[in-house]
Amino acid sequence: MYSIVIVEDEPAIREELALLLENQGYRPICITSFDTVPRQILDQKPDLILLDLGLPGRDGMALCADIRRLSRVPIIFVTSRDSSADELRALSLGGDDYITKPYNIPVLLARIKAVLRRAGGPAESDVLETGKLVLHLTRGTASAEGRSVELTRNELKILAYLMSHAGQIVSRADLIDALWDSQIYIDDNTLSVNMTRLRAKLEDIGLSGFIKTRRGMGYQL
Amino acid sequence: MSLWEFLSDRLDRLLIQIICAATAFFFLRATGTQAGVLVILALALLLVFGAVQLADFFRQRARLQELEAILDGLDQKHLFAECLPPARALYERRLFRLTRRAGQAMAETVSNAQAAQREYREYVEQWVHEVKAPLTAARLICQNLDGETRRRLTGELARIEEHVERALFYARAESPERDCVIRQTRLEEIVTQAVGNHKALLIQSGVQVETQGLDRSVYTDGKWAAFILGQLLQNAARYRGETPTVTFTARSLGQQVQLIVRDNGIGIPACELPRVFDRGFTGSNGRSRGGSTGMGLYLCRKLAGFLELGLDISSQEGDGTTVTLTFPAREAL
Repeated sequence: MYSIVIVEDEPAIREELALLLENQGYRPICITSFDTVPRQILDQKPDLILLDLGLPGRDGMALCADIRRLSRVPIIFVTSRDSSADELRALSLGGDDYITKPYNIPVLLARIKAVLRRAGGPAESDVLETGKLVLHLTRGTASAEGRSVELTRNELKILAYLMSHAGQIVSRADLIDALWDSQIYIDDNTLSVNMTRLRAKLEDIGLSGFIKTRRGMGYQL
Repeated sequence: MSLWEFLSDRLDRLLIQIICAATAFFFLRATGTQAGVLVILALALLLVFGAVQLADFFRQRARLQELEAILDGLDQKHLFAECLPPARALYERRLFRLTRRAGQAMAETVSNAQAAQREYREYVEQWVHEVKAPLTAARLICQNLDGETRRRLTGELARIEEHVERALFYARAESPERDCVIRQTRLEEIVTQAVGNHKALLIQSGVQVETQGLDRSVYTDGKWAAFILGQLLQNAARYRGETPTVTFTARSLGQQVQLIVRDNGIGIPACELPRVFDRGFTGSNGRSRGGSTGMGLYLCRKLAGFLELGLDISSQEGDGTTVTLTFPAREAL
């Protein structure tokens, strides 16, 4: 389990962020006293640091420089200062990424994942599996029992999202939301069209009725 | 100053001189001076007076030109009085002293106003950063709510963020050089950022986004450019028609790159088009729908000016609006 240190002086944000990360399967560690932050952090040997810029006492940029002198642990700046000049400075001090508040939560989680992956964590699986269905993300194909079919980018993302939430009911609105985060800007009608095509393709490989429609609620695998 | 202006300004003095001379000639003629002598005398007088007037004219004109050159050479014109040359005569000295006093009062007022504006800007920036903390907390808290409530609250939060963002950029536009960093940025990144920031609004309004040929790099400040695109997206969502679509198309134009943002919304009446970039201009569409601040496009134009970004708008009522952003070539920066 990855441990993530949260350096944030706003208690409400700190606690909610910790809760969010915990729900996502990370181990959050909150820093609550801001005197000897670098020492506290390095004692914890975290996999990642979420660092606020505007802290009481020492500023986040200075902290980052301090930490960098001692360790190469990935650092993501999370701050309300959003000018390009600040971003450039933060990254040149050794930050790995820079996210501005108020952040879009799926985007924050995706960036955390990306930084962890770059830092040499185990490569994220290229293959998703639910029941008989196997989805190859880089190849863009779905296969079941030896039969395989090629998917378009939209179909791939839709299926990947449903498979990563297998068993749960996924509402159309949540699905559209997630697709927009992957730069697929589709509306309700287009989603319906894509869904029909996707189901037809799944049927071709012998998985008819694999995606169930829950009337008035959404889709479920 | 032309000779004619100079002479007509001195008309009263000239008239008195002519009247004096005429009276003298009349007197001399009455006391028996010969007409020939009088003609010679008149010519001599005319020559002397004319020469004096001309010399006066040239001297004054040279002096005015000198002062004008000093003013033209000044970056901050209100400091003119401080840069005056030594006075040549009593009257000029007094005039300069008056100018200097007025100038000092002006300089003080200007520097007070500048300080107040700077303080206000700093306050707005600080306020924006502070308000972002509770907004972030609210977004995180929303995450734990069920789907529909979360979406609606997130939508409202996004609207607050739009207003906050505008306030921030308005404050920044006053001294842009402080935050602006021009560097190579991929167009796709800028568009993704702008669309991502307005995701909730766009989905809620049913706006489709299409992109084409964004695989190009431009030299600009990505955040500022994304802010400008964000204003255009907000407009596209607010003034949308049936099956609203926004298309981002990029194309190279010699060294420059053009980004064309086209929507199929209700459009802008031709008579209002020249004024859409004016501060506070809301137009008939804005008035009939409400919620228009008249600040979005005004800020776009202002920021585009600093980024040396060409910003052109064209629109057909009922058909849609097209905004063309022309990014400068690298050499130009």
